[in-house]
Amino acid sequence: MATTVQRPGGAYVQRSSSGGLYEIIDVILDKGLVIDVFVRVSLVGIELLVIDARIVIASVDTYLRFAEAVNRLEISGGDSEGLPQLMQDITENGAQSKTKGVLEGAKESLFGSDDDEDDEQNERSRSRARAGGRRGK
Amino acid sequence: MSAAKYVYGVVPAGARAPKTSGIGRRRLKTVADGKVAAIVSDAPADELQARRADLTAHSRVLERARAEGVVLPMRFGMVMPDADAVREQLLEPYAEELELQLRDLSGKAELHVQAVYDEETLMREIVNARPHIGERSRAIGDRPSEASYYERIELGQLVAEAVEQARTADSEAILDALEPLADMLEIAAPSHEREAARIFFLVDESRLEEFDAAVDELGRRNQGRLRFKYTGPLPPYSFVALPEEA
Repeated sequence: MATTVQRPGGAYVQRSSSGGLYEIIDVILDKGLVIDVFVRVSLVGIELLVIDARIVIASVDTYLRFAEAVNRLEISGGDSEGLPQLMQDITENGAQSKTKGVLEGAKESLFGSDDDEDDEQNERSRSRARAGGRRGK
Repeated sequence: MSAAKYVYGVVPAGARAPKTSGIGRRRLKTVADGKVAAIVSDAPADELQARRADLTAHSRVLERARAEGVVLPMRFGMVMPDADAVREQLLEPYAEELELQLRDLSGKAELHVQAVYDEETLMREIVNARPHIGERSRAIGDRPSEASYYERIELGQLVAEAVEQARTADSEAILDALEPLADMLEIAAPSHEREAARIFFLVDESRLEEFDAAVDELGRRNQGRLRFKYTGPLPPYSFVALPEEA
């Protein structure tokens, strides 16, 4: 579905040339030329979702989650580890699921009710990752 | 009978409509006035919704148009009553501004660079650099959250401040590497907790390869702690604007 030429991605960077609607949805909805009186789509709900996501970053929920993340480190890893131990832990735990960000959640719910043709592989795997990430609370 | 027009973007007069279909698979046309033209299709009969297929069609048309020349993207959802309105309300009153932006944005692409923390690595960096955070965490230990609610919030606030400092430092490093290669940039507000930075760049096509390499180098340098997502080339969504009044 990508319409532009795929540019070769480097080894360390996840590259999408285009068509990754997930990456650009807020840009499509928020940027570009606009004459307000001719906007004929109701985006009220969507805008609220995006704004909420930004406010939530400085919220009690975020604080509790950060506290939990640090607390988990301390319990599992002990304190002031040396670098070798640290690297080992990263490798061992790197695959653990993480709680997803709020905007990602908002995007998922935005798309969740719509199973149109152009589904994206990475969006599906994100949804799964998110469902897993909520469990460890 | 004149149908309402969905407007995708503005191109130089004489440019062809991209060879793809529009929203609702409708045929694309151009409506020209003077030196500028709009890419349009008939608008959907029923109310326009921001469904995935519609958003995808909007971006597909604009990406194709950018690949074939220069385009000023409209925001999603612009419907004008008929082709005359496109000329009289958009192309004619804003002609000067549109021509100027078409000239400035010719040969440019928008690129999005997003850097997301590996949370565990970030938390270890924070704890290692700030012993008092580790002490607070140990003081909470494995007491149930109800019994340590306010302590947890205070700890989380300290961590959030440290995350914010990391964001600032990492954003600066990314900007140091990429800003010299870009014509313009816009820094987006973080959209979720683990995001270090999300920056939109306007880059001349002659520098795209150099830019690619610089992003890759950032990824290499931050391997394991920051995951980079790199999107584009896109139409210049973030670098167009109409003046408030025509």
